[in-house]
Amino acid sequence: MRYAFTRSWRSFIVTLCLAVLMPVAVYADSPYEGYIYNNLEEDVHSINGYLYLDSWDGFGTEAGPLNAPEDIFVDANDRIYVADAGNNRILLLDDEFELIRIYGDADGPGKLNNPKGVFVTEDGTVYVADTNNKRVAVFNADGSYEREIPEPKSSLLGDNFVYSPSKLIVDKRGYLFVVSNGTTNGLLQISQNGEFESFFGGNRVSFNWTRLLLRWFASEEQRAQIVAERPLEISNLYQDTEGFIYTTTLGGQYNQVKRLSPVGVDTLNQGNVWYGDYYVSGPFSLPAFVDVTVDRNGLITIIDQNSNKAFQYNKLGYLLFIFGGTGEQNGLMKTVSAIDQTSDGTMYIADSSRNRIDRFRTTPFGELVHRASALYVEGRYEEAEELWREVLRYNSNYDMAYHAIGKAMYKAERYEEAMQYFKLARTRGDYSQAFKEYRKELMREHFEWILVGVVVLFILIRYVLPPLVRKLRARIGSSGTNSRPHAGNQAIVKEGEAG
Amino acid sequence: MNTLRMMGKVLRHPNEFYYDLQAPGVARWSHAILLIILAFIARMISILVTGYAFETREPYEISFLFEFVWIVVPWISWSISNWAVSTILDGEGKFKEIVVGSAYALVPYIVFVVPVTLLTNVLSLDEASTYRLFMSIIQFWVILLFLIKVRVLHDFEIGKMIWITILTLIGMFIMWFVCFILYGLIDEFVNFIINLFKEISFRT
Repeated sequence: MRYAFTRSWRSFIVTLCLAVLMPVAVYADSPYEGYIYNNLEEDVHSINGYLYLDSWDGFGTEAGPLNAPEDIFVDANDRIYVADAGNNRILLLDDEFELIRIYGDADGPGKLNNPKGVFVTEDGTVYVADTNNKRVAVFNADGSYEREIPEPKSSLLGDNFVYSPSKLIVDKRGYLFVVSNGTTNGLLQISQNGEFESFFGGNRVSFNWTRLLLRWFASEEQRAQIVAERPLEISNLYQDTEGFIYTTTLGGQYNQVKRLSPVGVDTLNQGNVWYGDYYVSGPFSLPAFVDVTVDRNGLITIIDQNSNKAFQYNKLGYLLFIFGGTGEQNGLMKTVSAIDQTSDGTMYIADSSRNRIDRFRTTPFGELVHRASALYVEGRYEEAEELWREVLRYNSNYDMAYHAIGKAMYKAERYEEAMQYFKLARTRGDYSQAFKEYRKELMREHFEWILVGVVVLFILIRYVLPPLVRKLRARIGSSGTNSRPHAGNQAIVKEGEAG
Repeated sequence: MNTLRMMGKVLRHPNEFYYDLQAPGVARWSHAILLIILAFIARMISILVTGYAFETREPYEISFLFEFVWIVVPWISWSISNWAVSTILDGEGKFKEIVVGSAYALVPYIVFVVPVTLLTNVLSLDEASTYRLFMSIIQFWVILLFLIKVRVLHDFEIGKMIWITILTLIGMFIMWFVCFILYGLIDEFVNFIINLFKEISFRT
């Protein structure tokens, strides 16, 4: 009786608390604050483009709990493949996390060992980077093990090569591009039979004065002791719908994201492009980008394992949104390991420490910016203009909007307004272009006046000024100063002083 | 009026100007101060009238004090260093002449920087080379006047002039270095005294 009484009291209090707290919970702020970098590289407030939706860790479901998820792949039908590395299996889920199938046999040749990467071709064939087995395992769409692509053998790989496939894609020709941990020469291009074709898209060692000087002045023995500078390691890759391969690089300050052309040349970055946070204040640390996903409009989203933030750039490399962060609350993460997105733009981020997958949804503001940005990227500035004006109504800190409206004005040949907007966006190059056109316009409109001005100026300089100067000279001369002093002029100057 | 005439002369006949400057009573402290203030004003006006596309700094990054310091400190340290070096190495120039002569060497800058900067309002960034050409002509002119000043005031030949100029520059850097160290030490010392007094006042 007493028990029931306390219980009912307790439930009452809980209900009361909930009633009081619920509105707070509904309007609760996101654990991370929206911000963006302006063209002065200062971090300014912005509206979040992505907010935390929910998480899935597999507890209490048919699939069972996740253990160190290392990769996510979303296919064309929005089905989600998760490389559940700790459980040695690949999960196939629908977009509401209902289990469809499990890849990876309990025993036999189809048994996986720490699979860190997964890729699925259009016909549903599943390629698994079976990291600890040093192979790529291939499964049929129905879940049955088909075959393996063994470790590639080639003299080009070098004696110290250790094969540790962690991520992979398969291009339309059927070639595999494999990230092997610890390999600094780039991606391994492997044929379906497991023959090594070539390295692809490797990073280069950048020029360094210190290294050059060391090489000049060091003796043979010293040179042998200097650790050879290796190119940076590729951490992950992604193939977009057009077949471009995007890579992320671990370490380094610039160009950690690359879009590789079919011959392996970076087509995304011009010069040194900074990705991730600028360190305006606080301790300096370099980001560690571990995964990248690209949507059909070319929006590039990368995740940084140091800050556990995701950074989204449009096709031209403009930063659009930053979301996530390090922490325990929902919406923050501990060790981001993989990211991919469904066709509606929902982001799936795997957290390999918390053993779960977090989902982030776009906000209305995010969608607005995405629409505007897509038009802008295609060069349809006039159509994008109204959308960018709406972006500015929500958020006047969004420098890209000013720039985009400026471009629209420029295209509409309203150069004076374009100049104003470029000034607001602090883009001096474009401002100067608009100014040049504006100047042309002014010249054309006021041509007569400019002509008259030039003629008047010419007459002044040619006929009016010389007599004036002569008169002035004469007056100075008459007051006693020399007009043309020569050597031994001290006395004359003295005269001038007196005069 | 006299200063104006001398400014015109340093532009047209720099050699003769510096000969004349050695006559007693020609070099005046007031001229030097006036010219430096003019140089500062010219600098500030040129910053103000720079076209938007050519601005490399945001307005809040520009400080009156720093612009002033960047004119005054090189001028004074050059004068002191040049005087010291040339006195040791048989130069004839007097300190006052060097100070005033250095100030007059800035005349091309004072006269031409504002009109040249006004060009940035009609040029676009593609045509920046025109602006840069004029600016480097001004700089070259100023440097030339400094060299002529060293040669004429101290009555050196060309080789020695270059040698003295290099020594003067080295001397300037040594001066700056010493001042920097002195500043650090004095700052430490003053802090020490202040802390000592604070400590004593807390204890009593």
